[in-house]
Amino acid sequence: MLFFSFFKTLIDHEVTVELKNDIQIRGTLKSVDQYLNIKLDDISVVEELKYPHLSAVKNVFIRGSVVRYVHLPANAVDIPLLEDATRREASNNAGKAK
Amino acid sequence: MENGTLTQSEGKDPSVFLGEIIGHPVTVKLNSGVVYKGELQSVDGYMNIALEKTEEYVDGVKKRSYGDAFVRGNNVMYISADS
Amino acid sequence: MADVGDEGNAVSEPLDLVRLLLDEVVLVKLRGDRELQGRLHAYDSHCNLVLGEVEETIFVVDEEDEDEEIKTVSRKSEMLFVRGDSVVLISPQSRS
Repeated sequence: MLFFSFFKTLIDHEVTVELKNDIQIRGTLKSVDQYLNIKLDDISVVEELKYPHLSAVKNVFIRGSVVRYVHLPANAVDIPLLEDATRREASNNAGKAK
Repeated sequence: MENGTLTQSEGKDPSVFLGEIIGHPVTVKLNSGVVYKGELQSVDGYMNIALEKTEEYVDGVKKRSYGDAFVRGNNVMYISADS
Repeated sequence: MADVGDEGNAVSEPLDLVRLLLDEVVLVKLRGDRELQGRLHAYDSHCNLVLGEVEETIFVVDEEDEDEEIKTVSRKSEMLFVRGDSVVLISPQSRS
């Protein structure tokens, strides 16, 4: 649940999603779900010449499993808060994989 | 069927074997073919592994050392006790 | 830095090792001949990660080259979410 909550705090921010097939899509984060599926608005494709087939598309739904990275705006991330939430999640999940 | 003396881990669960080799030197081979040798700190049910004094081998050649290393379980082909 | 105290320092399961690396610079090896170096700000049990001040190194075989030499491509990112299914290895790393 940690990253689901984390991504919800980034809604309406500009992010770049890098897919496992190397395509990078920049856009405004509009929605995220528990699988970390992502909806982006007002998209543009980085290196459009290499990947022209999305140039007419305005918004996308990206299946979470095809994501490699999401590049985030550093100023939108509260680092101490995120690290505390991580420690809390870690102690909640301790021993579950035994 | 030959029924010799059972060593400690024979006839038990794999997880019992893994429990018995904690603290011992092990070889971990990944699906990619990369091999890690180190001291087994811990393993969990996903075969996530924590190693100490880890050495990385690619095609049998030592590439690098890590003090500690966490290996994500889905990449693991096998864990073998060195002794 | 909370290292001692309520959560303890014992490394009894593998992810405890990662917990001890929170707010430290780590080396992450990924599938597809990629490596990241950056400060670990978040992780979960799937090995989803958030890293800050990241340097990514991609190892690519140059097919034009007859010796098929390995080139490295380097990229930077100020804040990066990494999906756990790409992660192979996580290790502490003092920045070179």
